[in-house]
Amino acid sequence: MKKKSWPAGLKKQCSLLLHGLFLCLFFTGISFIYFNENYGRGLSWIHEESYADTLPFTEQLESDVEMIFKYVKYKDLFETDGKLDYNKDMVCVTFSSGKTLIYNLNDMIREAKSWGYYLTDSFEVAGGPAVPERETRNAAIPLIEWKAYDPNAADHYTEPGDAYATREELSLEVLTILGEYYQIQYNYMDRPSNLYFQVSYMDENGQQKLYTNASQYPIADMKNLGRYLYLSGDSILIDTNLKYIPSNITSELENYNLYGNNDYYIILGLDTRYPNTDPYSIAHNAYTKVRVNYITGLIFFALGAGGLLVTLGWLIYLAGYPTLDRTAVSLNTFDHIPMECSLLLAVCCLWSWSCLRDSMGIRLAHLLVTQNHRDFFLAVFEVVGSYLICLVEGFSLLRQYKAQSLWHDSLICRSWRWTVASLNGTTFPVRLTACFLGYLGVNMALIYTIYYLYKHRNFLLVPYLYLVPAVVLIGFQLWTFLLLYRDAGENEKIAFGIFKMSEGETSYKIDTTGFSGKGASLAKTLNNLGDGLDTALQEKVKSERLKADLITNVSHDIKTPLTSIINYVDLLKREKIQDEKIQRYLEILEQKSQRLKNLTEDLVEASKASSGNLKLDIANIDLVELIHQTNGEFEEKFAIRHLELVSGLPSDTILIAADGRRLWRVLENLYNNAFKYAMENSRIYVDVTRRDDYVYFTIKNVSANPLNINADELTERFVRGDVARTSEGSGLGLSIAKDLTHLLGGMFDIYIDGDLFKVQTGFPVLKQP
Amino acid sequence: MQTILVCDDDKQIVEAIDIYLTGEGFQVIKAYDGYDALELLDVNQVDLMIVDVMMPGLDGIRTTLKVRESSSIPIIILSAKSEDNDKILGLNIGADDYITKPFNPLELVARVKSHIRRYTQLGNLTQNTTENVYKCGGLLIHDDNKEVFVDGEPIKLTPIEYNILLLLVKNAGKVFSIDEIYEQIWNEEAIGADNTVAVHIRHIREKIEINPREPRYLKVVWGVGYKIEKQ
Repeated sequence: MKKKSWPAGLKKQCSLLLHGLFLCLFFTGISFIYFNENYGRGLSWIHEESYADTLPFTEQLESDVEMIFKYVKYKDLFETDGKLDYNKDMVCVTFSSGKTLIYNLNDMIREAKSWGYYLTDSFEVAGGPAVPERETRNAAIPLIEWKAYDPNAADHYTEPGDAYATREELSLEVLTILGEYYQIQYNYMDRPSNLYFQVSYMDENGQQKLYTNASQYPIADMKNLGRYLYLSGDSILIDTNLKYIPSNITSELENYNLYGNNDYYIILGLDTRYPNTDPYSIAHNAYTKVRVNYITGLIFFALGAGGLLVTLGWLIYLAGYPTLDRTAVSLNTFDHIPMECSLLLAVCCLWSWSCLRDSMGIRLAHLLVTQNHRDFFLAVFEVVGSYLICLVEGFSLLRQYKAQSLWHDSLICRSWRWTVASLNGTTFPVRLTACFLGYLGVNMALIYTIYYLYKHRNFLLVPYLYLVPAVVLIGFQLWTFLLLYRDAGENEKIAFGIFKMSEGETSYKIDTTGFSGKGASLAKTLNNLGDGLDTALQEKVKSERLKADLITNVSHDIKTPLTSIINYVDLLKREKIQDEKIQRYLEILEQKSQRLKNLTEDLVEASKASSGNLKLDIANIDLVELIHQTNGEFEEKFAIRHLELVSGLPSDTILIAADGRRLWRVLENLYNNAFKYAMENSRIYVDVTRRDDYVYFTIKNVSANPLNINADELTERFVRGDVARTSEGSGLGLSIAKDLTHLLGGMFDIYIDGDLFKVQTGFPVLKQP
Repeated sequence: MQTILVCDDDKQIVEAIDIYLTGEGFQVIKAYDGYDALELLDVNQVDLMIVDVMMPGLDGIRTTLKVRESSSIPIIILSAKSEDNDKILGLNIGADDYITKPFNPLELVARVKSHIRRYTQLGNLTQNTTENVYKCGGLLIHDDNKEVFVDGEPIKLTPIEYNILLLLVKNAGKVFSIDEIYEQIWNEEAIGADNTVAVHIRHIREKIEINPREPRYLKVVWGVGYKIEKQ
């Protein structure tokens, strides 16, 4: 079954929605963390710390230790046999009249009540008299003899007046102390607590005085409650598993030891299961909740950040493509705004958003959140807004980038194109002038900037700011030099390429890597030109070869019937026909068939020689020897026409590099030419002379027929000295000789002076080893 | 009477060759393509074969190769292809001679005779040679009698021509320049030797070669000298 896929648009919208949700999640997480009490403590505390290890716990414990020792103090003060005794004496005072009175607890409570004081639910003192009444009743201020609740009170009087106190003040003190006693009694004795304590002293009589709310627990059990602290009088070490020791515990313990021995101890035990409701359990629960909140916040934060990245990546991947196969890029109207404009717009949006924050955001914050959350709210407000603006702008740029119109449509590029286009229409001098003016302008601007910054350097934040444009100036000069340098290099390469091509190496290619601008187009044009030339040349060579092949094949086809003609003419001749006329006809037939034979053979050779389609067998040969050999071959033949061969040859050898057989063919053609066209009874001159590095062979004869023809035309194919063409030559001899000579690397010149016909061929002489 | 197999797809050429060879007293068997030729070779006693190269069916080159698998009779290739490459190919695959069309009938007959003589007679001539006999292919020199034979035919040479030929045959394969030959034969130092040697060489060639323009024995190395091809 085909998998149903969502349309791309819907996918994108879902992704966008998800992105938004993750954004919310992210900021929720941040809020959770930010408003947590543990914000700023890092992460390490989360997994290793329990409430009992926190500082608030230690503070609570310290206050409890203080309360415990107050209990130690007040228990003896107020209790008799474990019960509150209202008859216990509290204060002894002496009035100015000399009367000394002892007030017990009951007196003091009644006194306090008479002043209007009372204890609240939390055992705090409240109430009190109206001020005018106090003034009237405070007439007598007695001297304090002693205070049962503060036996050493006299030690910390700082001025004489401290020894006096009104009854109202005293009763208030007693009431306060009583309140504290009730508080301890209520918190640690009457109500179940998670903190258990035992304080033990040994009095002078060896009687143990035990203060505890956990008389049922032995010390070992207390230690098993979870957290404990054991401090005894005979050791300075504290046996505990608390992280922080309450700072007051040792001093308090020592202070309340009134008996001068070391036989005392304190043990605190905290039931970390917190079965009872008390400040510890409340704080513990609150602490746990905060921790959970913090972790939740962290998870939200991480999830939000991850989701943001993933959806952002997915959106970046999809951006601009209307379909999922990512082929065409579609742009919306906003994307057609040039890059610079849209960036400017985005900056404006950011700026307005920040203004909006200052105006509307603050009011909104006042309306929605409390004072201490306001800054955070504003920060989130600004960040979210800026993020959304950046997101829109970023994706617009991304789409333009994908459509490859980012740079192309930008204003800089457009203006650059416009400049280039308007310059392109002009001539090179105008462009050069424009470039020079631009160069001059940049330099002037930079120099002026340097001057300005240098002059005002004392008023600037960074005095050496003028160095920046100076560096830019130097860089600009270097860049210009680099451009000129590269241009020169390109020019040189192009010149070299032209030189190579003019030398005939049409397949030479200019290496255009690193070329740019005019040089690149020039080099490319030149390469194309070379290609064209090369192709034309190859075409020519190919067509020459095809022509040669054609001629060869045609000549083969001619030769077969020609064989029959020659053979049967010969057979006819053998019949010894007496008729003179037939004899003459046969003679003509034989002559012409022979000529046809020569013609076909010469034709093949001429086409091969002119196309260069020949295999040469180059060797070192002696030209003088070759002339001797040729002379030998032709001497008797010349004698038939009474031609005298006059040769002027040097006696030493002259070596040249040539194909002996082809060169012989050249000479044979020249000698045959002389034989055919020289005037009878005349002389034929052949010489070999050496001039510099060349050896020249010359053959001269006097033509039998007037040579009213151009020397150059004689080497054209089928051109002969006698325009009537009555002789047997094919008209190809000189053409073949010339082509072969050129193939062998020699030169071939024909001179005509009246009836004097002269051919000169020259070859480079081989250096003697 | 020797039997000659002539094979060419052009019937008129075969006819003409038939007339020439029959006139010289040979028996001629005619074939018009390579397969015919091979069949006729199987059933007839053939002394020499003349074969064209460009033929429909089996061409001359492949026919020659086939024949050479079983027989060593002289084979003359007769072809319109006159390029060096074609000649070299023909001779390399086992043909004894290569004649280009259009051919001179007399030359063809002379070559046929020469090959048949060599093939049938020369084999035992070489057996009883004693010293002072020099042989190079079909060329034989009896130095004792100052006699020269080409394919068994006696040749008349002048003393100088004889000496030059002897020098070259004795050193078959070696190239002699004009000066060297002059010094060896005339026992004089060659100072600006003229065309004498070259003319003599030409005369010798005209006497011992069937076609002096395409010599079999006395070859011209142009621009270097002359040599007798080692066979």
